[in-house]
Amino acid sequence: MGDIYDMFFNMDSGYLEGLVRGFKNGILNKEDYRHLTQCDTLEDLKLHLQGTGYGHFLANEPSPLTVSVIDEKLREKLVVEFEYLRNHAYKDLATFLDFIKYSYMIDNIILLITGTLHQRQLSELLPKCHPLGIFDQMETVTIANTTADLYNAILVDSPLAPFFKECISEEDLNEMNIEIIRNTLYKAYLEAFYDWCQRTGGPTADVMCEILAFEADRRSIIITINSFGTELSKEDRAKLYPRRGKLFPDGLIELSKADEYESVKRVSELYAEYRPLFDGTGNNPGDKTLEDKFFEHEVTLNVNSFMQQFQYGVFYSYVKLKEQECRNIIWIAECIAQRHRAKIDSYIPIM
Amino acid sequence: MGSLFRSEEMCLAQLYLQSEAAFACVSELGELGLAQFRDLNPNVNAFQRKFVNEVRRCDEMERKLRFLERELKKDKIPILDTGDDPVAPPPREMIGLEAKFEKLENEMKEVNTNQEALKRNFLELTELKHILRKTQSFFEEAAMYHGNQPSETNQAEEENLLVNDYAKTPYTKLGFVAGVILREKVPAFERVLWRACRGNVFLRHAEIETTFEDPHTGDTVNKCVFIIFFQGDQLKTRVKKICEGFRATLYPCPETPQERREIAIGVMTRIEDLQTVLNQTEDHRKIVLSQVALDIRVWFIKVRKIKAIYHTLNLFNVNIAEKCLIAECWCPVVEIDRIQFALRKGTELSGSSVPSIMQRMNTKEAPPTYNRTDKFTQGFQAIIDAFGIANYREVNPAPFTIITFPFLFAVMFGDIGHGILMFLFALYLVLSEKKYLAKRPENEIFEMMFDGRYLILLMGIFSMYTGFLYNECFSRSINVFGSAWNVNAMNYTNTTLQASGTLTLNPNVYGVFRGTPIMYPNGTGDPYPYGIDPIWQSAGNKISVQNSYKMKNAVIMGLLQMIFGLVLAFYNHRYNKDYLALFCEWIPQLIFLLCLIGYLCVLIFYKWAVWNVSNSNSAPSLLIGLINMFMFTKPTWAKKTQLYSNQNEVQITIVIIAILCVPWMLLTKPIILYLRNKAKMKQLVLHVDPIYNHDSTANMGTTRYAGVRVAVDETSDDVAILDHDHLDDPETASITPKDEEEKFDMSEVLIYQVIHTIEYCLSCISHTASYLRLWALSLAHSELSEVLWTMVMHSGLSVKGILGAFMSFLIFWGFAGLTVGILLVMEGLSAFLHALRLHWVEFQSKFYKGEGYLFTPFSFSLIVEGRVDE
Repeated sequence: MGDIYDMFFNMDSGYLEGLVRGFKNGILNKEDYRHLTQCDTLEDLKLHLQGTGYGHFLANEPSPLTVSVIDEKLREKLVVEFEYLRNHAYKDLATFLDFIKYSYMIDNIILLITGTLHQRQLSELLPKCHPLGIFDQMETVTIANTTADLYNAILVDSPLAPFFKECISEEDLNEMNIEIIRNTLYKAYLEAFYDWCQRTGGPTADVMCEILAFEADRRSIIITINSFGTELSKEDRAKLYPRRGKLFPDGLIELSKADEYESVKRVSELYAEYRPLFDGTGNNPGDKTLEDKFFEHEVTLNVNSFMQQFQYGVFYSYVKLKEQECRNIIWIAECIAQRHRAKIDSYIPIM
Repeated sequence: MGSLFRSEEMCLAQLYLQSEAAFACVSELGELGLAQFRDLNPNVNAFQRKFVNEVRRCDEMERKLRFLERELKKDKIPILDTGDDPVAPPPREMIGLEAKFEKLENEMKEVNTNQEALKRNFLELTELKHILRKTQSFFEEAAMYHGNQPSETNQAEEENLLVNDYAKTPYTKLGFVAGVILREKVPAFERVLWRACRGNVFLRHAEIETTFEDPHTGDTVNKCVFIIFFQGDQLKTRVKKICEGFRATLYPCPETPQERREIAIGVMTRIEDLQTVLNQTEDHRKIVLSQVALDIRVWFIKVRKIKAIYHTLNLFNVNIAEKCLIAECWCPVVEIDRIQFALRKGTELSGSSVPSIMQRMNTKEAPPTYNRTDKFTQGFQAIIDAFGIANYREVNPAPFTIITFPFLFAVMFGDIGHGILMFLFALYLVLSEKKYLAKRPENEIFEMMFDGRYLILLMGIFSMYTGFLYNECFSRSINVFGSAWNVNAMNYTNTTLQASGTLTLNPNVYGVFRGTPIMYPNGTGDPYPYGIDPIWQSAGNKISVQNSYKMKNAVIMGLLQMIFGLVLAFYNHRYNKDYLALFCEWIPQLIFLLCLIGYLCVLIFYKWAVWNVSNSNSAPSLLIGLINMFMFTKPTWAKKTQLYSNQNEVQITIVIIAILCVPWMLLTKPIILYLRNKAKMKQLVLHVDPIYNHDSTANMGTTRYAGVRVAVDETSDDVAILDHDHLDDPETASITPKDEEEKFDMSEVLIYQVIHTIEYCLSCISHTASYLRLWALSLAHSELSEVLWTMVMHSGLSVKGILGAFMSFLIFWGFAGLTVGILLVMEGLSAFLHALRLHWVEFQSKFYKGEGYLFTPFSFSLIVEGRVDE
């Protein structure tokens, strides 16, 4: 199966794979970051970014620059690239790219519901939505009061409907169950994505299952750590764990019993991949946070995915790497703008 | 030798520019376009350079200009192109320009915001107008519906309705909202409404035929009027939220027809008022923009020039103590006077009292390659540069390519007709070149052909020439001088002649050929004076005759071109004074080639001369003979393998000489290098001379331009130069030259030599074989055109009667299309590619290194056209 798959891959997706690999070469390297961190003003940053793959993406912005403009433009560039890929994608790759979009859709819905709960205006919330996750019915989610409402009226038509099955209830929406909805949605999404990749088989499965398994485990661990000291019961918490990671099943059972950070650490240390992530983390200055360690690990996985050919993982990895790069640039830009240079080096280098 | 034979002589010069004069000087140099500046601060970030602020200001100005240009394009106002080329304004004028652009941009922006607001207003009013118009019909329908079929659920009200004003009452309990929504959102909108309100609302929608313009983006959009009926306040808030979610705009719509009419009238008058205001804003905008259109091109040029100057100044070294900028540039030696003149002019313009100084420097770095081309030679130079830029002062194959390239092409493309078509096409390009140069063609393929117009012209001319030799015009022969054959002598009977289309021409028949008496003892006249006798056109053995002839020709031409390549290599060695390579590589190479292929060519001529028609059957095969020569098989008369007496002895000698050449090529050079190195090491160990490092020639460069000599003493000058020269590391420059020379590594030299020797020996055979493509392509071309003639044109011509005229007319177009499409374009491209390959691989590999880099002078003419991305 694998060989046949390889043979026909280029027929449908060869062009896009080539394109995405080309895009990936534009990702900033260590040297670029070193230059960026030396900038004194955002204008300097702009000047330097001109010399990279970003080219003249800020050329038409009037001075003075603000971080939010940079953020918007960075995002716009990624979206344009992604939409180009999506428009030219065919068959399985189209589905795959849609899967990437779904996670942004979930984020957008949750953002809108939370915003409405806090009595924010829709017009104020919309610019905050990620453009990759915009779909037709999205803006009407504000009318729903219960999850059943939400599903029946709005989401049933959207591609997110299948993920929503588990969280339908007649309860009113509130802060707590929005979080639960988010995590259940994510769980369903990750599981569906994982299963789809597995069904596709070949190198796509090899690469993507690795990345998605890590994503699932990361969510489980983060959920557990964040749940300490909240009213979330252990049974409910266990329901939120995506069941596709390396922790499944034994690790998740152990995690569901955890009461404190140390026990989470103990569980994770049983797994060779996650042990180094917990080493040397802490809240002391100079230490890296667990979150950063996770990000670093994610970056490594995504960079590795480019080592394999004839698979869709490169598309996912490119989006994720680019996202990380945007975060890095924004971090550096914020540090420059706020004259807070002490922490400017705590970005996550990609190459 | 002409300037194309070797690239221009270049020198590295150092410029001392007073800071106040630097701008004007660089500006003058930019107009001149003869100096390539080197980056003297490669380790400094782009944003840490001295003139980064000025560059930024230029960026900002460019942004504003681009904004204005976009606005001009939006309104389709043409930009005036007067073709004048303003010089870069002095820096003090920058502020004026900035202020001007700032003002224009603000004005434009203000106009735009006003216009947008007005347009938005206008849009809303138009939408309202449409709502009123469309809903009218909804209400009328509803009224009719209620009138005909009274609702059964509300009997009491129905009775009431009959009594009272029935047009009004049915809506009293039903609320409604009316609005406008994007057309593509309607289905989703309808579904969500249905679901969210559990089917308790009633939606009617109608398309608005006219399209709207989105005031923000300027796109045209299609919209729909909708009206939703519902019951109760709860549903109302819900519906309103959904409308908000779908970005539908809601408009107040009164319930009674009278009120609606009143509003409609009010809306109409307001629309008219707005229209006049809108027109006025539009006019104002037009006036502003048309003024901009007059100047924007000049502004762009000015700003780009200023920016380019500051970019260049950023490459310079700043000497704070002496208040001057130090630049290093490559420039052609013969142009130094013009550069100095430009510097003086720049200094005068800036009003600086201290002159700018130019001084030649010594360097070990290879200078850039600068071949001065004109419109004729640049196409040929481009072919060479595409392979690799020549090393500095290396023999440039371009001038020879001007003739050999079209010639080799034409050998493969020989046909008078096709040559004429190609020639005419190129002639058109050449004659209309002014038109196309002023306005570069958009089409990339066309541009490529345009750039190579002189190449195509020559290719066409040469194709005509070879076509004449092959005697082929669209595959037909032309009988110009009268055939030299006397077919009568063949004694064909009438029936044979009628039955067969082609017959074999046998030259070995008495009296058949009116050839010269020397070769044909019974010849009665002269042969066909030029090219191939047209009678072969109808001969059955045409191909076999031509094959043998073209094949041998290809080998001979190949040998000549390869030997010519070696001759050029000789010029290279002599110029570089590389006598080691000359005696240890070049001479054995030449001997080797002559022994193998040269001998073959001698045999070809010998065979042509000695064997004639009568004894050609017993002529030995040259190819077998060549193979046997290497096998040391003795040729004999008996086996028909011997060409001349003592052949065996001669051949053995030749083979032995060729074989001896191999170790000569392989070993002598490495051994001599090794011995030399050993001797040098001994010397170094004996006495290390610390003064040896001082470059004795360094002073020469400075003294030659005594008129502009710097007033600093020699030694400190040298130190300064070395410091700025980032490629010569200061450390190595100050130590002895032994470090600068590569460490001698015997194994590396040996491996290099082995590879080169093997490559050369094999290539002698393979390259000769490669030249056979001349024959193969030429055969393919003539066969293809023959097929096209017989299959297409001939079939049209052979239809008889009136129908034949029509058929010929129709078929001619098919024939013409195929001729251009297949024979000219496709065959032409293929012959072009093969000619290119023969030049790049077979010819240039003999002498051309192509490891140099191109001279890219700082020139405004390139920057302003946007061809160089600064």
